[in-house]
Amino acid sequence: MNHDIPVLQIGPQGEVMAHGVDACVHCGFCLPACPTYTLLGDEMDSPRGRIVLMKEVLERALPLEDAAPHLDRCLGCLGCVSACPSGVPYGELITAFRGWSEPQRQRSPLDRAKRFAILKALPAPKLFSVAARVGQYAKPLGPMLPAALRAPLDLLPESVPAMQPSPALTPAQGPRRGRVAFLVGCAQQALAPNFNAATLRVLARNGIEVVIPEGQGCCGAAALHTGARDEALKLVRANLKAFNPDDYDAILSNAAGCGAGLKEYPAVLHGLPDEAQARAFSAKVQDISEYLYGLLRSGDLTAPMPASRPLKVAYHDACHLAHAQGVRMAPRQLLRSIPGVEVIEIPEGDLCCGSAGTYNLEQPELASQLGARKAGHILGTQPDLVVSGNIGCHTQIQSHVRRQGSRVPVMHTVELLDLAYKGEL
Amino acid sequence: MSPEKQGLKPGLSRSRPRSEGNEAHPLGAELTRLLGPRKVLSSLSERLNYRYDAIQFGVTPVCVVLPESTADVVAVVKAARRAGLPIVGRGAASGLSGGAAPMEEAVVVSFTRMTGLQIFPERREAVAQSGVITLKVTEAARPHGLIYPPDPASFRTSTIGGNLGENAGGPLCFKYGVTGDYVRGLEFVDAEGEVYTLERDAYDLPGLLIGSEGTLGLITSATLRLAPPPVHTRTLLASFAEVGACAEAVSAAIAAGAVPSKLEFMDRACTNAVEDFLHLDLPRDAEAVLLVDTDGDDLETVQEELALVEAACVEAGGKVRRATTDAESAALWQARRSVSPALGRIRPQRMNEDIVVPRSVLPEVVREIRALGDASGFHLVQFGHIGDGNLHPNILFDPRRESMEAVHDLAHRIALVAIRYGGVLSGEHGIGTMKRAFMNDAVDPVTMSALRDVKAALDPAGALNPGKLLPDPLPAVSSQEPAHAGS
Repeated sequence: MNHDIPVLQIGPQGEVMAHGVDACVHCGFCLPACPTYTLLGDEMDSPRGRIVLMKEVLERALPLEDAAPHLDRCLGCLGCVSACPSGVPYGELITAFRGWSEPQRQRSPLDRAKRFAILKALPAPKLFSVAARVGQYAKPLGPMLPAALRAPLDLLPESVPAMQPSPALTPAQGPRRGRVAFLVGCAQQALAPNFNAATLRVLARNGIEVVIPEGQGCCGAAALHTGARDEALKLVRANLKAFNPDDYDAILSNAAGCGAGLKEYPAVLHGLPDEAQARAFSAKVQDISEYLYGLLRSGDLTAPMPASRPLKVAYHDACHLAHAQGVRMAPRQLLRSIPGVEVIEIPEGDLCCGSAGTYNLEQPELASQLGARKAGHILGTQPDLVVSGNIGCHTQIQSHVRRQGSRVPVMHTVELLDLAYKGEL
Repeated sequence: MSPEKQGLKPGLSRSRPRSEGNEAHPLGAELTRLLGPRKVLSSLSERLNYRYDAIQFGVTPVCVVLPESTADVVAVVKAARRAGLPIVGRGAASGLSGGAAPMEEAVVVSFTRMTGLQIFPERREAVAQSGVITLKVTEAARPHGLIYPPDPASFRTSTIGGNLGENAGGPLCFKYGVTGDYVRGLEFVDAEGEVYTLERDAYDLPGLLIGSEGTLGLITSATLRLAPPPVHTRTLLASFAEVGACAEAVSAAIAAGAVPSKLEFMDRACTNAVEDFLHLDLPRDAEAVLLVDTDGDDLETVQEELALVEAACVEAGGKVRRATTDAESAALWQARRSVSPALGRIRPQRMNEDIVVPRSVLPEVVREIRALGDASGFHLVQFGHIGDGNLHPNILFDPRRESMEAVHDLAHRIALVAIRYGGVLSGEHGIGTMKRAFMNDAVDPVTMSALRDVKAALDPAGALNPGKLLPDPLPAVSSQEPAHAGS
């Protein structure tokens, strides 16, 4: 759409934003793909509407604080990107906008403290783990606490497992067929350490040597998507330093959100001196399911043992896998490679589960409505197992499925493969 | 306030009057008192999102109402009438003629929360409130062995109310007809706030409302006819080295007795824009692509019809590929449905034509429009429901670098080609603001005066969607020559 955004005054991120606004033809194809439009039914809480709001703010025709509530409600799920025939890079637009606008935001002290706590705890697994444990003890107090504090407690699983140290090097079993670097992730280490353990076992069994480079840290997505751009830049650069793409066949992540974050580095550094380095890095980044599917396709994947009984597996597309990375087929095909597994589709499968990074903490009501809706759809398929490829979705789905009275196991794609390799499925 | 628009009317300056006026209008306060805060949007950040459709930006409304019942609509209409403000109805605003964009200060009534839907399988009917998304009707009817056939490209987004307002078509309309063919009855609210419930008998008032673009009344609910889906469907894709050859294949196939359910065409630019989005291995080099479905309950007949189409395509020099699976044909149809928005990848803006011409003249018309485009220096693309003779020539442009007067001029020439060959200005998207100026070329003065009488009877104060469909009256002594009549 037409705009008068003062691109030059804003700089490289201004270019990113202006391009996003330019590309939108306000056709409305994004509307049914947007979770908040689906819930609220108004234009300002749709992707097309948010683009108009951002444009108006950038043009100084609308005060930021008027647009902010609607922009804050965006999950960043990128369902709209999959639905957009015009190719609007909505994710880049809103991320850049949040980075540009955050320093101008007037936030309450409580809000600021909450954001600070989230952004400090998430990327620090040890701190997160301690917080999660403390939170567990506080869980029974939940009903007495204000909503802002209740939301994170609601999210915690019933038990927080012990942290497991990650080995710097996991050798390949049998002849070495490949060498990859692995991003261990943050919150995931505290909440679901088995995701990483299973990943290392599955890769090793396939003859892949796995390196966990020292000095790596949070991918920066949480900071970036909440507008903490300076914080994000530090994290991004630390990772660029830790991972030398030339040393590995691939750089793997098993959390859709982190993988998408790593693939976003070139946009983050657009117009900055290290942009080329970011390109070389992100060209090597793959989700674990993409990498394993590559082995499957070339006939190199070690065959999993059959499941002990026929299993209906409801596969949930994590937004940051399906919409942000375009990875849909790979995990399904991997699951189907286990004899006895039937992959079933979830109705409204493209709609976000409501987890979306820190959304659960910042917009607990909407997040909870979406979680309940997703859990209802999942349970409607009467699955034996639920599988997804992202820690955020995992936590959200598990919590809402339990709330609806079901004990159905919720697992990561690699956990299922790992069990099949062990003959325990 | 003059219209802020990405517009196309010659003479409108690009200088944007800002969306000034953050102060709330008293009508917003009154409506909030009547309907509660949830249904009324008064702040600027809310209102400025209700000034556009999929083609145009208009004037920021003074307030927006999201009614949840017919009674809410009545309340808005009466309040707006007291305040002397016009009313613009709006569905999902995916329209392509400027129909839902307010052209002056107005109240926008957005129907997206009126989503009541009931299916009556024994009567093969659905009763849908106007905010129901088109696809939802079929989704709700399918468990009963029924579907709602009208299938505009935007059917995942667009609403039944919007479909009715524009009398939307879709690929299936060649065999199965357009929205209006599926309407058994309507409920609407007139400019005075009276509620009408009408069947299609005596004076066919529903027929009058269908395609009236919100200028005669606000449709609140419709009784829609459902039909059983065909048992078998087969799909093929044919590619041609020349656009006219594609049109010849269509005429030949139909003359040979085939009645395909869908017959759609896209030219090279369209195919490439969609291919960039979907990566389906579409033939990027072909100047024209034809996408065809045949369907029915008897597989043999369905395949015979497909063979007839295939033979006609080959005869016209086309290359044919049959879809081998349902998934493949679904992907091809998703490709066709994505054409319109995908064109945004070529230029940020476009003028969308919606002409219909007799099938017998299709080859001449598509060639003549192709030639007009080539001579103009603009990116002109063509696609459409070619089986119906419904073509969508689109002029793609960048308003920062290209003259809107020249765009408008080219659009006018295209409209005149259609009229010269016995065609009309709109098949399914409506006249809206985009083709309003061409209406005097297309409609004779006596007919125009009848249209004005109808408008005056139902909306004497001109309060409903002003600035749409009917052109401003011509000066008393008409000495106007169409600028480019004939060629």
